[in-house]
Amino acid sequence: MERIIQGTAPSEVVARLRNADGYFITNTARDLSQSDFKNRILLHTDLLAAPSREKAGYFSLEITGGASIHVDILRKQVDPFLKLELLREKMPKTMFQTLCRGINLFGYRPYPQNVIRFTVREFAKYVDVWRTFDCMNHVPNMQAVFEEVAKAGKINEPCICFSTGPEHTDEFYVKKVGAIVDVTGREIILCIKNHGGLGSPQRIGQLVNAIKQSYPDLPIHYHGHNTDGNDIGRIAAAVMNGATIIDASDSSMTGFYGPPPSLTVIQTLKELGYTALGIDENAVIETSEIISDQRQYYAAFESQIKGFQPTVQIHKLPGGAMGSSLEQASKGGFLDKMPDILHKELPRVHKELGNYWSVTPGSQILWTTAVANVQGGERYGNPSGDLRNLLLGKYGPFPFYQPEDWIYEKVLGPDWKKVLEEEGGMDEIEDIDLEQERSSLEEKIGYPPTDQQLILYLQHPNDAVNFFKFEEKFGKVYVLPPSIFFPQGQFAEGSTLSFTDHLGKEHVIEIGPTMVNDNGESSVYLNVDHHQRIYSFAPEAKPGVAAAAIVLSKEEIQTLAKNGDIRAPFAGNICEISVKEGQEVAVGDQIAMMEAMKMQTPVVTAIAGIVTTLSVKVGDALKPGAKIAQVDIDE
Amino acid sequence: MKKKILVANRGEIAIRIMRAIQELDYEAVAVYETPDKDSRHIRLASEAILLGDGPRCDYLNIDKIIKAAKHTGACAIHPGYGFLAENPDFAKACEDAGIIFIGPTSKVISDLGNKVIARKIMADAGIPMVPGTPNLSAGDTGVQEALSFAAQYGYPIMLKATCGGGGRGIRLIESDEQMHKEIPVARSEAKAAFNDDSVYLEKVVLNPKHVEVQIIADKEGTTLHLGTRDCSIQRRNQKLIEIAPSMIENKELLDEICQTAVKAAKASNYTNAGTVEFLIDKDFNYYFMEINTRVQVEHTVTEMITGIDIVRTQIKLALGKKLSFSQEDVQLRGHAIELRINAEDPQADFMPEGGKTVSLYRSPGGFGVRLDGFAYQGYTIPQVYDSLLVKLTVYGFSWHETVSRVRRCLQNFDIAGPKTTIPFYLNLLQDPDFIKGDFNTSFLETHPQLFEYKETPNEAEKLSKLIAEIHHRGKNIYAF
Repeated sequence: MERIIQGTAPSEVVARLRNADGYFITNTARDLSQSDFKNRILLHTDLLAAPSREKAGYFSLEITGGASIHVDILRKQVDPFLKLELLREKMPKTMFQTLCRGINLFGYRPYPQNVIRFTVREFAKYVDVWRTFDCMNHVPNMQAVFEEVAKAGKINEPCICFSTGPEHTDEFYVKKVGAIVDVTGREIILCIKNHGGLGSPQRIGQLVNAIKQSYPDLPIHYHGHNTDGNDIGRIAAAVMNGATIIDASDSSMTGFYGPPPSLTVIQTLKELGYTALGIDENAVIETSEIISDQRQYYAAFESQIKGFQPTVQIHKLPGGAMGSSLEQASKGGFLDKMPDILHKELPRVHKELGNYWSVTPGSQILWTTAVANVQGGERYGNPSGDLRNLLLGKYGPFPFYQPEDWIYEKVLGPDWKKVLEEEGGMDEIEDIDLEQERSSLEEKIGYPPTDQQLILYLQHPNDAVNFFKFEEKFGKVYVLPPSIFFPQGQFAEGSTLSFTDHLGKEHVIEIGPTMVNDNGESSVYLNVDHHQRIYSFAPEAKPGVAAAAIVLSKEEIQTLAKNGDIRAPFAGNICEISVKEGQEVAVGDQIAMMEAMKMQTPVVTAIAGIVTTLSVKVGDALKPGAKIAQVDIDE
Repeated sequence: MKKKILVANRGEIAIRIMRAIQELDYEAVAVYETPDKDSRHIRLASEAILLGDGPRCDYLNIDKIIKAAKHTGACAIHPGYGFLAENPDFAKACEDAGIIFIGPTSKVISDLGNKVIARKIMADAGIPMVPGTPNLSAGDTGVQEALSFAAQYGYPIMLKATCGGGGRGIRLIESDEQMHKEIPVARSEAKAAFNDDSVYLEKVVLNPKHVEVQIIADKEGTTLHLGTRDCSIQRRNQKLIEIAPSMIENKELLDEICQTAVKAAKASNYTNAGTVEFLIDKDFNYYFMEINTRVQVEHTVTEMITGIDIVRTQIKLALGKKLSFSQEDVQLRGHAIELRINAEDPQADFMPEGGKTVSLYRSPGGFGVRLDGFAYQGYTIPQVYDSLLVKLTVYGFSWHETVSRVRRCLQNFDIAGPKTTIPFYLNLLQDPDFIKGDFNTSFLETHPQLFEYKETPNEAEKLSKLIAEIHHRGKNIYAF
């Protein structure tokens, strides 16, 4: 059976899946990056892999969504839309897939309806398959996304988030599937989202079978993680029970918490009599070979602790949160308390808080609560705002049972019943004025933003503005390979870095010497395309040592002037002082005359008052921002 | 032994003059002040004399320069523009020392340099002029004289340093209050710059075109003109862009102005090269402004459209030669534009960028392109001199061709370190009024949008900035 080509109508895709005589593979490169490399796999690496991934014939490439959009702009300095555009050029046939957190989109808190719809519409121009979930499996939280995806003519792939425990029965999940198809209709793919890689192969096989019994027409996409090292077992069981798409990724980059290697899946299922549809095995192997030597440059982002974690069945942390949790423990210096947190406190908290699904943003609430309980002494003694919101039902109703009263009392206070009554339940989030947001963004960046820029801004206001300014200053940096973007220390003097820029021009940069002057200022010499260039850097402030004088910007000097703090507007000499201390001055009165390059320029006061301090004398050579005088308002 | 000529100047004009000296097979002698020790004009000369630590005062020190000429055995001195170029005492000192001063006689410089005497000569010769005052009396009497002139002719009025020139020592006064305030400032600036605090007033012709005529005369009384230049595009009364010939379509009028310039030069017994400046009002009335008794910064545009080397001619005339061509030989062909590429930030009121190091200097080339500069990669711009780095002069057969060639040249220019006027010019070259040739001295004030540009470094520059920072820190702070 042939591969499914990007651009095929959703109904046709679903029909092909219904009649599939084997299974398809989604390459979850994004989930691999997030779970095993703290989301840092660069577009540069994905572009290297693109031609062979295209040839490999995957059902889809999961390459955006989850936390990746935030990390794209925050730490990879790449435009998430440009990323999709560039990959599409190299991968015209492969469908692109995203992971969307429903009402929380790609973030951690709910967004207004109009933001959700605007965002989905724009991303849907690039993304073919929309995997959408909610950490409470609360279907209304996903509805706006479902509607916009369908309107855009793309494929909806709603999730049932999976977990284990007495409440997590086939009956419960089959009912949940019913609640979903009631909203979406049957022209969808259903995803079993096993973000922790929980349960045995047997359990997953059972669940797939139970859903198939009730909904034989519904194509099932099994999504798992290899945290315990046994996801291939679960994948095999899922396929044997009727799942038609599974998740895996390129073997040379696979780690511990993300997807398993796709080649192993293919080989395992082949022996069992199941064909990977559309797959070119040689291209699967080739992809791994092409990117294998890139892995060394991502070493800093791999897990602090190596090895599989079969104890995930106890602590249930999702694969995507494993890396960041361990990093947090390592940075916070409580790596030694991890066994206590993971194996004792976290399962206890999980149970106490209703045994819902440990997935974003719910997983973060469980994790921070468990850490606070262990680190803070008194359990629930220092509740986060998010925990409070969880108890108030802001994320949706608890699916199985409510936490016990004493927890409510700890978190909401002694009159918790009243608080719950008055503030409980999901908030109706009002639409925001998009045009007003657009003009406030324009004010921040100084030019009219595109819709895509506005969308990034709506998701992450500060980080988006910083990213736009970064790009203005440093250009399109996705062209830099990880060896340059994530260096391990300084580059060797005399070494040569080469890359092709966004406009297709090749560049060679040779690293020259660095000179440090008496003021501690460093000058970095680079030969850029065979022409020497020098870049200066102020000395870095050392703890305990006063930082070098900061050069004030023009705006800062003007702001100070409005407070009577008169500074030199440029570098020059004082050639005349026009006032005395104690003298009364009016707005616009000349305080001093400065000379630079033969031009005399009067320095005037922006406010009326009394000259209280004169900090200069005739002949002084001033740097920009140097203090000239202070004028205080005469009270 | 070759004869030597001393160049009493610095920067690009010193180099320009040395080129002519060397082409005439003379040796060039440079002088310099300590802050200029890295200046390229020294390297290009055969020998160089350190005048002192300056700044500026040694380039203005007549005794030191005469001594340097005698010491090196130079037979002539070319003063360039600025500094001592229009100082009659300097010309006189040369004459007294038996050194040839390349320029007019000290008497001519003195007469024309004194704006009041100059106005009298021109009035007697029937040259049209703008109403003005003699030198203002000292102190409060002078202020009272100024106020009564203002009462008669109305504001705006130009307050000018009698010994000024090249846009320095000029102030636009729009009220009595401002007149009170600015006269002392103008006097102190004039005193510092020209060692003479005389000032006078002139009625302002509102938003005129600034058109000037290059003249050249030998000692036998042959006085020719080399056509017009338009220098209307100025900031703070300093020229930024000069074009030749003037874009005024009425050729008879331009010819009349050129004839008037020749008449003005003859009336003042002018010899060597000079420039007669005119203001032209919106009704195309023209008024004599002044004669600059030196080579102009913008002489290059005239050279481009006439093919005549003005500096070479200056030297030959000073050495006693006759003009070797007639007025009929002077043919104007095509258009030329000169841009002054200054180390300045146009967006910060053209604040000079002195003190910065030119970390990259790559210049354009190709047909019709001329560069008169002295900056080089690694050159630190002294804070104590002017901010001109290089003059870009471009020739084209048609106006449109010239404008598009200038644009291409600016795009090919690559100067890093100081901010320059290049991005501002690139913006200006797109302006419809400029493209039409429709501009007067109010051009910058009436086109504020010219200052709304963004400097866009290319991708390689941006990326190398990041790489430099990553290398410096040993990590990428934007990725962790």
